Amino acid sequence: MPVLTRWLIKSAMVCLALALAVATTSAACARTDYPWIHTLTPVYIHLFMFGWVTQLIFGVAYWMFPRYSVESHRGPPVMGVAMYVALNLGLLLRVAAEPAHALHPGPAGSAVLVVSAILQLVAVILFALLIWGRVREP
Amino acid sequence: MPRLSRWFIRAALIYLLLGAISGSLMLLYKSGIASFPAGKLLPIHMEMLLSGWVVQLAMGVAFWILPRLEKGASRGWEAPAWTAFILVNAGIVAVAAGSAVPDGNGIVLAGRLLETTAVVAFAVHAWPRIATLDRLLEVKQDR
Repeated sequence: MPVLTRWLIKSAMVCLALALAVATTSAACARTDYPWIHTLTPVYIHLFMFGWVTQLIFGVAYWMFPRYSVESHRGPPVMGVAMYVALNLGLLLRVAAEPAHALHPGPAGSAVLVVSAILQLVAVILFALLIWGRVREP
Repeated sequence: MPRLSRWFIRAALIYLLLGAISGSLMLLYKSGIASFPAGKLLPIHMEMLLSGWVVQLAMGVAFWILPRLEKGASRGWEAPAWTAFILVNAGIVAVAAGSAVPDGNGIVLAGRLLETTAVVAFAVHAWPRIATLDRLLEVKQDR
């Protein structure tokens, strides 16, 4: 199993645990009047769907799809690392900033959300570029 | 990787990009720097990523990876799987279009019916391939 796949799958498991922790917190506090309760839903959804499901898919696809060649294996390693960093950093920034900005809008929170949006999109573009050429006959 | 799997997976990658673009636009709207009502993109964002990316990727990989009953390259009756590809993509486009227009509920409903038919068609193809090794060996011996 290549090292990037190991990073992606382990990080996906961490995101799954965090998603369930957020969901549990939300359920436990459902009957309270805490103002931040309604801000947890997008956090849970994106930790689950992007952090766990999509990141797990990225890791297994990077490992399993037919390789370009014996020499270049799975594509430029730096592109894979950049994809991993962009995905997880973008998600982390979103998890922190989205609830905070929803409760207390401001330029700092706005800037972090913009960076998060760009990083997550960049991660997806990099994955598509890495894997497109490997969708082929072996 | 068989041709139908390549079609499924490349379509899934395109929907992943479209879903990510719509999601990023919505996050830019939440940040306050975008003035267009990107919140209306939510149903399209969900459709692109759930039906377009996850379901279609699963179909493509399943068509590739599930055990084959016949010797050689055969994956059994492929027509339902090809039908599933056409119907699921037609359904996704219909649901996305119906979500974007006023009074589009009828179009969304038609899209959902297409997607449901696609899933049934794929299951018709895949069901015999979901088998234990013993069963696969029995089938091959019978042939």
